Amino acid sequence: MIRMFLRHVTKDISAYCHGELSSEESKQFAEHLIACAKCRTKFEEVKLGIKLAEQLPRLSAPDHLWSELEPLLAKQTTSAARPSVFWMWQSQVAAAAVLLLIASVGVFWIYKSSRAPQKPSWLVRRLDGAPKIGSEQISNNGRLAIGEWLETDGSSRAQIDVATIGNVDIEENSRVRLLQTRPDEHRLELVRGKMSARIWAPPRLFFVDTPSAVAADYGCAYTLEVKDDGGSVLHVTSGWVAMESKDRESIVPAGASCETRPGVGPGTAYYEDASPAFREALTKVDFNPDVAVRETALASVLDQARPRDTLTLWHLFRRSDGADRERLYDKLASFVPPPPGVTREGMLRFDEKMTSQWLDVLEPMWTGNGGGKMVPKKVADAYFRVRNGLSRRLKDMAPK
Amino acid sequence: MVMAEQLIDGRVIEACQQGDRDAFQLLFETYKDKVFSIAVYSSDGDRTIADDITQQIFLKLFTAIRQFRGDSEFTTWLYRLVVNACLDERRRRRRLLPWGEMVAMKKPGERKPQEKQYARLEIAEAVQAAIGELKPKFRLPILLKYIEGLSYDEIASVMGCSKGTVASRLNRGHSQLAKRLSHLNNPEVWGD
Repeated sequence: MIRMFLRHVTKDISAYCHGELSSEESKQFAEHLIACAKCRTKFEEVKLGIKLAEQLPRLSAPDHLWSELEPLLAKQTTSAARPSVFWMWQSQVAAAAVLLLIASVGVFWIYKSSRAPQKPSWLVRRLDGAPKIGSEQISNNGRLAIGEWLETDGSSRAQIDVATIGNVDIEENSRVRLLQTRPDEHRLELVRGKMSARIWAPPRLFFVDTPSAVAADYGCAYTLEVKDDGGSVLHVTSGWVAMESKDRESIVPAGASCETRPGVGPGTAYYEDASPAFREALTKVDFNPDVAVRETALASVLDQARPRDTLTLWHLFRRSDGADRERLYDKLASFVPPPPGVTREGMLRFDEKMTSQWLDVLEPMWTGNGGGKMVPKKVADAYFRVRNGLSRRLKDMAPK
Repeated sequence: MVMAEQLIDGRVIEACQQGDRDAFQLLFETYKDKVFSIAVYSSDGDRTIADDITQQIFLKLFTAIRQFRGDSEFTTWLYRLVVNACLDERRRRRRLLPWGEMVAMKKPGERKPQEKQYARLEIAEAVQAAIGELKPKFRLPILLKYIEGLSYDEIASVMGCSKGTVASRLNRGHSQLAKRLSHLNNPEVWGD
């Protein structure tokens, strides 16, 4: 493992993407990739090459080809040295046999052609009870193909292998569907229940669609629960996860959570050890339709915030405007003073360079907790250092 | 190697070996699109040349199939025939055509402005053109992977090289495609 970690993996990129590496090799590959900027750059290049090559269409041979070929074949047959013994053997019986062969082959061909092409699928293991794929109960193992649903009841659980990049435990009373699996995207849909994911892949290869947001993996472990009303709760235990909707995005590090609501999208990321009052106020800021209630709640969030809650304040700051933006800036600056060269005026207009500079100081405060369960701490630290676009996303989070 | 190809079993091949025209037509129908596709991509998109290559491959197959002993998978044997025919044709054309004409053939179609939103079809056209610019040793593994759906082991068997060489050539082929078509690395282009 150490050897693999130190050795660059560029020559294995295509094999990794095509599932030609063993499970252990894939894991080691991903661990190296997370920590190695050079290999990651190459990975992005090869991934694009694969995406492009997948667009290569299979062409149809022109219809005239057989009619042109047939006379040439006849010519070759007559000039062939050896006569066919096939027709020498009781011709009528042979002809009948050929007809039968062609007919049966034809029927089989039509039967096979009428069936959907073989779809990629993931291995599913039964953990408890009797989980179902479609309407079929699985005994010990099963396969979940694209478009198929996996369902657990109150006494059943299952584990899914996410191609070669990780696995997902599906808890009781859950319903998930495999939407996509290909080298550059693996996607599940969770419409009900709870799942725990452990992914050892480069960022943004694994996604989970829920009714109110999409969870995008950044090399991590997390649980995601979808409630009956379509809202969801994300808890990240290692690495980072982005919760995304059309208009909102929250970047959630280890030790933090994020709630989502249908029609609204993701709320703001918060640390799970924040006070109940802070969390209650944040829920109002995120989801209460009443402007006055949100104003009061924001004041409460600012009152209750600890230095560690700069994660939440940063998200709110990036979504705010007017006086709220100023209040949030002042609170953030009171916890973590901006570095030299970063001014209040510049930050209030989201100056790109200043935003990056301040984020460089803030971000390490958000990554010091909860990591290291799935990947070695050294790897995780390296990942956080190189960030691979994460800072950009934190910097560019769309205003509300 | 599923679906219709599963129909090509020992009985069909034996019938072909004994000169059964219907069995041979079944073989032709099963593989014609795949063989033709590789021929097109190997002849820089020239369908007339691809027609000729495809015909030559099936003519050769019809005679050579008598020598097929089943030591390897039939498909491996067939694709070896296809790869060799494509390489032979390329060598022949290289001898016949002046260098400038070869280069000109490698650039079919008109270049489209980068600002334009590419539809999937346009992406496919751009990929086809870029595939034509790859050296055969990088192009053929890509065709066997994406057109024929072969595994690395199967490609290695067809090309007579190691699995590691296949992985390496695919890697370099993918990289070269990405570099040549880097302007397509834009979510708006793909409609993502």
